[in-house]
Amino acid sequence: MMKQIKKRATLLLSLFCFFSANLSAQSGDGPTYEDILDGFNDPSRWLTYSGDYSGRRHSPLTQITPENADQLRSIWTFQSGTTTRGRGWETTPLLDDGVLYVTGSNNYAWAIDARTGRAFWEYRRNLPDDLTYGASAPVNRGFGMLGNQLFMVTLDAHLLSFDRRTGEVLWERELADYRVGYSATAAPLILDNKVIVGISGGEYQTRGFIDAFDPVSGERIWRFNTIPGPGEPGSESWPNDPQVLAQGGGGTWMNGSFDPDLNLIYWGVGNPNPDYYDETRPGDNLYTDSLVALDANTGELRWHYQFTPHDVNDWDSNHMPVLANIEWQGDQRRVVMVGNRNGFFYVLDRVTGEFLLGEPFTATTWAREIGEDGRPVVLNDGSLGCLPDPWGSTNFYPPTFVPGLDLFILTARETCATYVPEEPANTPGQSNFGGTVFIDSESGYGALRALDIHTGALEWEFRYPSPTFGGVMSTAAGLVFAGDHEGNFMAFDAESGENVWHYQTGSRIWGAAAITYMLDGLQYVMIPSGTTLTAFALRSP
Amino acid sequence: MKDLINTLGLCSRILVLFFLPLVGFHSSFGQELNPLEGDPRAARVGGSIFRAQCATCHGADAMGIDSIDAPDLTQIFTRPGSSEQDVFQTIREGIPGSIMPPHAFPEAEIWMLVSYLRSVGVSGFTGQIQGDPDRGMFLFSENCETCHRMNGQGGSLGPNLSMIAAVRSEDAIINSIRDPSAIIGRQYKPVSVLAEGNVRFRGIIKSEDAFSIQVLGTNQVLRGFRKSTLQELVYEDQSVMTTFNESALNGRDLTDILSYLQSNL
Repeated sequence: MMKQIKKRATLLLSLFCFFSANLSAQSGDGPTYEDILDGFNDPSRWLTYSGDYSGRRHSPLTQITPENADQLRSIWTFQSGTTTRGRGWETTPLLDDGVLYVTGSNNYAWAIDARTGRAFWEYRRNLPDDLTYGASAPVNRGFGMLGNQLFMVTLDAHLLSFDRRTGEVLWERELADYRVGYSATAAPLILDNKVIVGISGGEYQTRGFIDAFDPVSGERIWRFNTIPGPGEPGSESWPNDPQVLAQGGGGTWMNGSFDPDLNLIYWGVGNPNPDYYDETRPGDNLYTDSLVALDANTGELRWHYQFTPHDVNDWDSNHMPVLANIEWQGDQRRVVMVGNRNGFFYVLDRVTGEFLLGEPFTATTWAREIGEDGRPVVLNDGSLGCLPDPWGSTNFYPPTFVPGLDLFILTARETCATYVPEEPANTPGQSNFGGTVFIDSESGYGALRALDIHTGALEWEFRYPSPTFGGVMSTAAGLVFAGDHEGNFMAFDAESGENVWHYQTGSRIWGAAAITYMLDGLQYVMIPSGTTLTAFALRSP
Repeated sequence: MKDLINTLGLCSRILVLFFLPLVGFHSSFGQELNPLEGDPRAARVGGSIFRAQCATCHGADAMGIDSIDAPDLTQIFTRPGSSEQDVFQTIREGIPGSIMPPHAFPEAEIWMLVSYLRSVGVSGFTGQIQGDPDRGMFLFSENCETCHRMNGQGGSLGPNLSMIAAVRSEDAIINSIRDPSAIIGRQYKPVSVLAEGNVRFRGIIKSEDAFSIQVLGTNQVLRGFRKSTLQELVYEDQSVMTTFNESALNGRDLTDILSYLQSNL
């Protein structure tokens, strides 16, 4: 009898273990580094800011096509209940196992059922009353995810780790002192056992950096300072003044891309401080307005390329670096492409940083060309009037690369501004623009522009009534999805630029770009706008 | 140019230093009245602080930047009930849920900013108009009322003029009457469309995106159009407002109309 009971208990235990194991397999332990490396190969996921490490934001999905896109309809809308008047909902949601993980303005965050738009949990950070830069840009661009952990940076310059099942904070680390002017808004980039984060606050007495943290312990592994210390390489491009270097700016507020073969991180660096006033900072001011390539293990600088040496126009280079392997003048090249705030489109060799191409994509009068040495031939330092405004010819919102067509597609801004520098007061915790800008508000407009990556030539454009801050995504079906300042979420034929669908979301699409994924046999496209996150598909599920 | 700017910057800092002992005599800056009111130096230093701290969002001319919802601050004191204390509080505390942050400036500097905004604020008539307001009212009803409102009466195509004498100068109003196309306000840009069925519709643009346009017609009816359905869409440069030359309204007529507008305050 006893034996039988024992036998039954063993059986029950085995069954329990089986079901537990099975449940565990179903619910999963969350994505691994290998899963993120796998990128778009599993279309039911969107595991990192751009969908994969390349920064191309180009999905292989083909259910929605230029021919049927006019059938797209909204399936559900999520309301955040928090907003950033003057900017927008800039996040890119992550998706795994039918759950969306979404950050919002003012450091809200949610886990949302991708099938219904209903939230599993909501998180809101209690922020201090005396935020500095974080108060003027209370935005966030997304989570990083590894296993059952989520990672988010905050407006008071901290990095948080969450349990993705509950929204509970597992650990938190201070990145820098927010009271000086630091803040953090970029989506973390997750590598193999590393969480890479950047920092905001280049208008304050700050010194930018890129940090790598251990995802489990929360300990910092390395830091790359974007402004060199006295005597370090690059310091020769600044005055020999430790105080100037310690406040040189160079924010890193947009995340980067990653080449696993080269083990290099590509990350953009922001403006020098002060923005417009330059008497205190003669020289090129490295590594402001540059793209830096860092060794992922150590954070050491492999190479850099500076787009705007000695910037006096607030033309941060915080753009998503777009990686591709292409044929270049008869050779195979591993390149990185950047559409820059200064109005030029660049192609660089991403192994060495060699300059390959720099061509204007807006009517900028700043430079005639980029010389063979990779430096701009500056025509107008601002004193002659009418340059791209401080928000630039494009900005941080993502572009896309369409491989089959060799098109780099980005949102361009045509603006006209005159810069008048003035010596700033230089007070800790207060912004330090160092002058004023007169913007001709009557003449500006925006445009979605498709550039030939080999020449920079404009292949097509679609114009918007006003300068626009919406990002771009493309798919293998030959579709481009974009948002504009008037609130339209739109689909275009990637080859011709013809608009094939639009939906008025009711609020400007600002800083965000679409994602797309498969769920229960349907291809979804999703965009944040204002306080809404809306999922679209060709039919109801 | 930069030398001049440096000099201005230096001057502004010296002026701040000069002011601080003066403002120290006041028992408290958390008061309802600007302790620096009427002192032109306060506005001058406030202007320097404004250009360094505020102009990036509100524009170097303080007239705002639409694309980031930064309001026109030259109009800030024309809002009903808007006081200098309100403006002081807004600068200090910011506007939650917007990109307008709180500012930890010393109170004296906030009052200087208030003084500056007061100095660049739109101002109304500069003196008492010597005209006949009753005759002006008659002329207004004959020539203006179809499109403009006064005290809840009149049309809606043009701006409500009930408080215009408080926010625009006499010259600005006369210029608008004599040459309405010289400066056309953002909300009054003229457009003409040819819609389906060869229907012509002229009016002012209330809103527009890449695919549609929203118009208030000269018949004062709101109409929205999908651009793809239009046969013609013309952005005009001539205001929908009638030009009143000397033969339509002479100098005395204008004086009487101005007198009527002023009598309404």
